[in-house]
Amino acid sequence: MPGLWRKIRKTGRVAEPAPARVPAEVPAAAAELAGSIQIRHVDAGSCNGCEVEIGSVFGPVYDGERYGVRLVASPRHADALLVTGPVTRNMEVALRRTFEAVSEPRLVVALGDCARGCGVFAGAYGVVGAVGDVVPVDVEVAGCPPEPTAIVAALRGLTGR
Amino acid sequence: MSLVGWLFAAALALCALAAIGGLVWPRSWVAGAGTVAAGLAAATAGVASVVGSRWSAWLPDVLPLAGVRLSIDPLAGLFMAVTGGVSVCVAVYGIGYARTPGHRLDSRGVQAAVPLFVGAMVLVPAAASVSTLLLAWELMALTSLLLVLAEHRRRAEVGRAGLWYAVMTHLGFAAILAGLALFAAGAAGESFDQLRAAELPPGLRNAVFVVTLAGFTSKAGIVPLHVWLPRAHPEAPSHVSALMSAAMVNMGCYGIVRVGLDLLGGGPAWWWLVVLAAGALSALYGILQAVVTSDLKRLLAYSTTENMGLVLVGVGAAGFFAASRAPALAGLALTAALLHVVNHAGFKTLLFLAAGSVLRATGARDLDALGGLRARMPHTTVLFAIGALCASALPPGNAFVSEWLLLQSLIRVSPLSGVAGAVTMPLAVAVIALSAGLAVATFVKAFGVGFLARPRGVGAERATESPPSMLAGMGLAAVACLALAVVPALALPAVGSAAAVAFPQTPPGLVSGAVTLALAGVRGVLSPLLIAGSLVVALVAVLGTVRLLAARRARRVARLWDCGAGPMSARMEYTATSFAEPLQRVFDDVLAPETDVDVTPARESAYLVERVAFHARVPDRVERRLYAPLLAAVDGVGRSVRGLANGSVHRYLAYGFYALIGMLVVLAVLR
Repeated sequence: MPGLWRKIRKTGRVAEPAPARVPAEVPAAAAELAGSIQIRHVDAGSCNGCEVEIGSVFGPVYDGERYGVRLVASPRHADALLVTGPVTRNMEVALRRTFEAVSEPRLVVALGDCARGCGVFAGAYGVVGAVGDVVPVDVEVAGCPPEPTAIVAALRGLTGR
Repeated sequence: MSLVGWLFAAALALCALAAIGGLVWPRSWVAGAGTVAAGLAAATAGVASVVGSRWSAWLPDVLPLAGVRLSIDPLAGLFMAVTGGVSVCVAVYGIGYARTPGHRLDSRGVQAAVPLFVGAMVLVPAAASVSTLLLAWELMALTSLLLVLAEHRRRAEVGRAGLWYAVMTHLGFAAILAGLALFAAGAAGESFDQLRAAELPPGLRNAVFVVTLAGFTSKAGIVPLHVWLPRAHPEAPSHVSALMSAAMVNMGCYGIVRVGLDLLGGGPAWWWLVVLAAGALSALYGILQAVVTSDLKRLLAYSTTENMGLVLVGVGAAGFFAASRAPALAGLALTAALLHVVNHAGFKTLLFLAAGSVLRATGARDLDALGGLRARMPHTTVLFAIGALCASALPPGNAFVSEWLLLQSLIRVSPLSGVAGAVTMPLAVAVIALSAGLAVATFVKAFGVGFLARPRGVGAERATESPPSMLAGMGLAAVACLALAVVPALALPAVGSAAAVAFPQTPPGLVSGAVTLALAGVRGVLSPLLIAGSLVVALVAVLGTVRLLAARRARRVARLWDCGAGPMSARMEYTATSFAEPLQRVFDDVLAPETDVDVTPARESAYLVERVAFHARVPDRVERRLYAPLLAAVDGVGRSVRGLANGSVHRYLAYGFYALIGMLVVLAVLR
């Protein structure tokens, strides 16, 4: 325990200064949530590249939580789904059910090129389609994988902070 | 002969008749009806004696040498009334329960032993001499042992449980015998009147108290002498468990109050601090074991240890306050303890009978194999819920009232009791608070896992509701529990006059009032009726508001969240083990749970695993650490002296001869 306290004191604050927000219109459903959005992440068939970047977003350097977004453990607790990867056959039903389980108003963020248009997996036999083919998508983030700054910017677009 | 005498004689005669009827005509309603009548007579006798009519008799010709001496005062009457009430519920229940297919509980032996057991328990508090008490005590032990062994042909564990019970109860009997024999030797005779008048040296008084305390606590299931309870109660037929747990263990408390407070007339403060410490230890240890066990009847047995511990906390506090000259507090503590005896008898009868219904319908005692009984056994579920509410010491349950009274007496400890009181009484309050909290967890577990959700086993899936006689037996107990919970004033005058036997100098009317209980001597009021009423009003208001709000808001029907996977099965439900796991982890150092992982590799390669088995159990630590080494030592001694008994008659005659010579030499030297 003293070691932990010492480490905390020595490390100090490593979060980068918050960049200025790009002014943009907040979607109507997100505006109703008033700047606090709980996110459930769903891996619909990702290669885990996007997951690594999500990990960075909620790590100490990019510190996504200071903008009012938070990762939660169940869609029952969530306002938005953060979906990565092309939707594989095995995950199609699970994704639909997860979407059903989120209370309204609800949002879907398609993260990465695979989620937006199947990326390199387009036309593969195990792939049903992009996230937009299965559930309605509100926000898309481009990149393979998208950089943490891009993810943070997209999430700030939802919270408006 | 007064009314009490007639009723008492009628109760005993009806017990005998019922036993004979059961032997001659083994139909369950014959012995059942006789036992119901006997229980009613005993309960009425008890109530009549509590109201004020006393009775005593000396029957010199019934037994050789000492005869039989009987006397019924309010203290005896209270215990007799409790026994009678429990017997009525159990006997009504037993009419249907004995016909359980495959259990052979309608055999002649069992049918005759139940009324005899009831008769012995009615006789114990009425005994007014050492020999009569010991006789009744032994009769009670023997008949209950027969009943514990009722199903020994069906399960091998019954035999082992019976052995534990027999040994423990007889060691207790030997202790009581030794203690009371010492007492009678120091007094002018063996009748209780002579014992009361006796002037014993302090050393002898201490010895009498400590030795009889050991004997009586073994009957009451107090730690560390509780080991027979969690073995015998689960293996005995359920109505016998109810009789033993709700009526017989009370006799241990009766013995402590009778000998310690009445016959010895109280004693030094350390006696009662020992009683209080034993009670506090039992309360905590019992409920900790109950919260982690998943066997429904074992859970109830440990809960009995807890509740008897609470009673002893009250008795110990009463003796301690009396020793430190605070008669009002002493009376209050003893009233609380005796009221808890009555309340515990009510809810434990109900819970054991309901557990018996579950066992009969599902064939399972393991909570992890139950569940889903709410739809299949709705009446039993409601009745068990009432029992669980009462046992968890929350308003509007009946245990709440007695524990509140007990806490009042402990919190108001007077400055006269010195440092010992200032240290022990707050600790006792903490123990009661902790055990009450754990009791809530225990009974939420027992009810939630056992009765709600979906069935976890085949037995629970096929369960059907119990026959009407069993429901009637449980219903009687439930009505008694609710009445005691809402209007404790029904029982309080009786309990107060019983407590006045031990403390004749206490002012009368310590706890008074019909709707609102007001305490005299210390300030405190409690109104169980109004609490129950306001809880009902609050519940209705909350439910109504929720329904009203829900009707206004837009709603969407959604699928149950199952992590996006397939349908949920009963294997995913909360089990008793998983419910208790956080508490088990908190109390890890006390409970010392054992886990065991068995990995069976495939025959072809040690790196391929064929099967992994995980076992987790929480053994009774007292049994493991105290009794196992003791039994091993006794076993070792028995083995090592086996050479002395080689079967030669000459050798045995020589042993006798040398022993006689030795005795004579000792006597010659001493005299």
